[in-house]
Amino acid sequence: MLLGSEKKTADMRGAYGDTLVELGRDDPRIVCVGGDTTESLKTKKFGDKYPERMFNVGIAEANIVSVAAGLVIAGKIAFASTYAAFIPGRCVDQIRNTICYPYLDVKLVVSHAGLTVGPDGASHQQIEDIAEMRAIPNMRVLVPADAVSVKYLIRMIASTSGPFYMRLARPSCDIIYADQSRAFELGRGNILEDGSDATIIGCGLMVSRALEAAKELKRKGVSCRVVDMFSIKPIDKDLIARCAKETGAIATAEEHNVIGGLGGVVSEVIGETYPVPIKRVGVQDIFGESARDEEIDMLLEQYGLTTTEIAKAVLEARSRSRK
Amino acid sequence: MGFNMRYLDLKRKIRDARMWAIQGITEAGSGHPGASFSAAEIMGTLYFKRMRHDPSNPNWSERDYFINSKAHSAPGFYSTLAVAGYFQPEELRTLRQLGSRLQGHPVRYSEHQKQHSVPGIEYSGGSEGIGLSVGIGIALAKKLDGKKNRVFVLIGDGESDEGQIWEASMAAGKFKLDNLVTILDRNRIQQDGFTEDIMPLDPMKDKWTAFNWEVFEVDGHRVEQIVDALNKAAQVHDKPVMILANTVKGNGIRHMANNPQWHGKAPPKRQTEVLLEELESECLIAPSIIAGERENYEDKIRKVEREGVDMIHLDVMDGRFVPNTTFFADTIKKLRRLTSLPFDTHLMIENPLEKIQDYIDARCDIITVHAEACTENEFREIQERLIDNGISPGIAINPGTDVPKWMYHSLHNLDVVIVMSVHPGSAGQKFMPEVLTKMVVLNKQLRQHGFRGYIEADGGIDATTLQQTYDAGARIFVAGAAVYSGGDIHGSVIQLRNKAEVALERRLLNHATQLNIRADWMKARKHILIPYANELRIEEELHAIR
Repeated sequence: MLLGSEKKTADMRGAYGDTLVELGRDDPRIVCVGGDTTESLKTKKFGDKYPERMFNVGIAEANIVSVAAGLVIAGKIAFASTYAAFIPGRCVDQIRNTICYPYLDVKLVVSHAGLTVGPDGASHQQIEDIAEMRAIPNMRVLVPADAVSVKYLIRMIASTSGPFYMRLARPSCDIIYADQSRAFELGRGNILEDGSDATIIGCGLMVSRALEAAKELKRKGVSCRVVDMFSIKPIDKDLIARCAKETGAIATAEEHNVIGGLGGVVSEVIGETYPVPIKRVGVQDIFGESARDEEIDMLLEQYGLTTTEIAKAVLEARSRSRK
Repeated sequence: MGFNMRYLDLKRKIRDARMWAIQGITEAGSGHPGASFSAAEIMGTLYFKRMRHDPSNPNWSERDYFINSKAHSAPGFYSTLAVAGYFQPEELRTLRQLGSRLQGHPVRYSEHQKQHSVPGIEYSGGSEGIGLSVGIGIALAKKLDGKKNRVFVLIGDGESDEGQIWEASMAAGKFKLDNLVTILDRNRIQQDGFTEDIMPLDPMKDKWTAFNWEVFEVDGHRVEQIVDALNKAAQVHDKPVMILANTVKGNGIRHMANNPQWHGKAPPKRQTEVLLEELESECLIAPSIIAGERENYEDKIRKVEREGVDMIHLDVMDGRFVPNTTFFADTIKKLRRLTSLPFDTHLMIENPLEKIQDYIDARCDIITVHAEACTENEFREIQERLIDNGISPGIAINPGTDVPKWMYHSLHNLDVVIVMSVHPGSAGQKFMPEVLTKMVVLNKQLRQHGFRGYIEADGGIDATTLQQTYDAGARIFVAGAAVYSGGDIHGSVIQLRNKAEVALERRLLNHATQLNIRADWMKARKHILIPYANELRIEEELHAIR
């Protein structure tokens, strides 16, 4: 990974915990349900500040999300958090029937999504959650690219009615939105870099890699547009169709199985609007494996989640483009 | 004790809910009658008597919450909501059909789900084992807000196989949710068979106790026991309450009861009328404790309670309205402590209005006064005061008198009419058969004028006259000597029940014959009819049915 030493990184979970505390101060309806991972998820910050509004139900994910639903039925705005492997991994049914069907204000904010969980290995490396969550009617799915986005988006989901699923990554992530005045709108992707030869659409920590790839390609004379598609559902169809039309080729980048994730959504959209060549960078439908924290970059490399792979994908898609 | 529940009114509403549920199920051709009926008394007692709620304002901020975790009992839940006043019961006929608000499993009512739900439904169920967790969330929120709302969660025993039930059980114990009452509909049947064969659950009481719950065990078809347990639950602090309600799946329709086949199957539509008749024909046996020696009342109550009688009939005689004297309110007050069985008090006294407060205070469940002993205005006042106190009002008529004309103006608030078949005042008289014709005519007239209560036969009721009065329309039977004088209380109660069953089966069979579904009905009912084959003279016919 081409991390410049001047690059700033920040912890997504920390941003979540801090924002939750701020929200809790302004709105007494905000409550939080956790499951023995509150320290790790940084929701403990909220619990320390507002102990009466923090409910730790232990290692019982089905119960976490259903208790959250009950709190909402009684007028609260509930955040429910643990690792992505378990929410939604262990409770898709409860999320579907108890939260999405009745359109409850439950905000599922989970961490340790994707391969970058590291040492815990494949059992904890959640790579199918986007596919599962976006297939449920009423659910909205957000994948922020950095800690700044997290702050914005947590506020957004707290003030927008209905269910949300938001996945965070475990490692400290590059700051993308150093300019804090940037707006975030539900269902609208953010163009981070303009270009004319191809578009890279990324989410989560792959957005910083997409920016790096665009830089690399620029040196080779290929002008890439880079889009942060933090809102996977609702999806910005207009923007995707426009990118297809204006740049003629698309590469997607996500820390998720290529089946049913961001690459899947974008493929669906361009297939129905403006078909152009597309190449999906992501986990190629296989389970991951353990890696020590200092080996994370190598792990991502092994599974093809790198700047180089994105750049290759762009060129591959472009080679099939008729533009 | 289960008082202030206007017992017979509660029974009637539950009966109505069952009747609407079966109409919905037969019309839809699918649904879960078994679970609807095992939970009918539980849901009815909550909605008609115990919960704070307002059908005209379903989002009332002070309401109690009901979470139906065993959501497949939807037909019974919907019909309970309808009878409670949330929507017109006729809508039950759209159950499970395309475009209906009454989905196969209930859906939380909100701005987002107006098409597929009705006001009053808080929770979308269907997937098992989830509702208790949701109830916990509501209870936590109410505690957080310092509110008094209570949360009632109905769970099934089949869904207790789900691990989430036990996740929730632990959590409620941890959070000491004394604003949460869970009622377990322990009907012992799940889709594949009996719970103890599929996945043994016993000992349930020990399990919930070990999870830090206060557990009360009741017969889940005895509303007085449910009310009693709910009253006790309200006194528990720092613990959630589990009411373990032992129930019979399909209770109310004899051939469906306790039969795993009827978990999720609809009876054929052509049988609807007969099924409705059966539900409407529920009968109650009320032993009169003045029979035999006029002493040892406590002992007499305990003995019949063990036999599962429905009520205790208390004959109060003042020596003026009738020649004899028995006991008064002070005695009833003492007896009240013995049992939660409803007290069916029959005041054979002069000026009942003067004394009525004593009997209200003694916590009777039904109080019947004599038409001969009061004027219209006096009766109206008695009726009003009884209803205000949650007591079922009744009127009694002697063999020589008729229900007064003025009575016909307020039949909707009359729960029972006692038709005396002996002259009141002394025990052991012979049944007067001429009363039968009077009962038939009276029953018809009362029904035509909107009476939805019970006709109670009192005087000389035994195995023979019970059948005759049953056929004449009586559904409550006061039995004195027939229970206490033979020396075999157990046998006597069984015999009376058996006679009521024979009368019921004959009636239903006749009805089926009129509808041209006799063979069909006998086939569905075969295992029920076998013991009565001789008495009903259908041995050969029954034998021919495969």
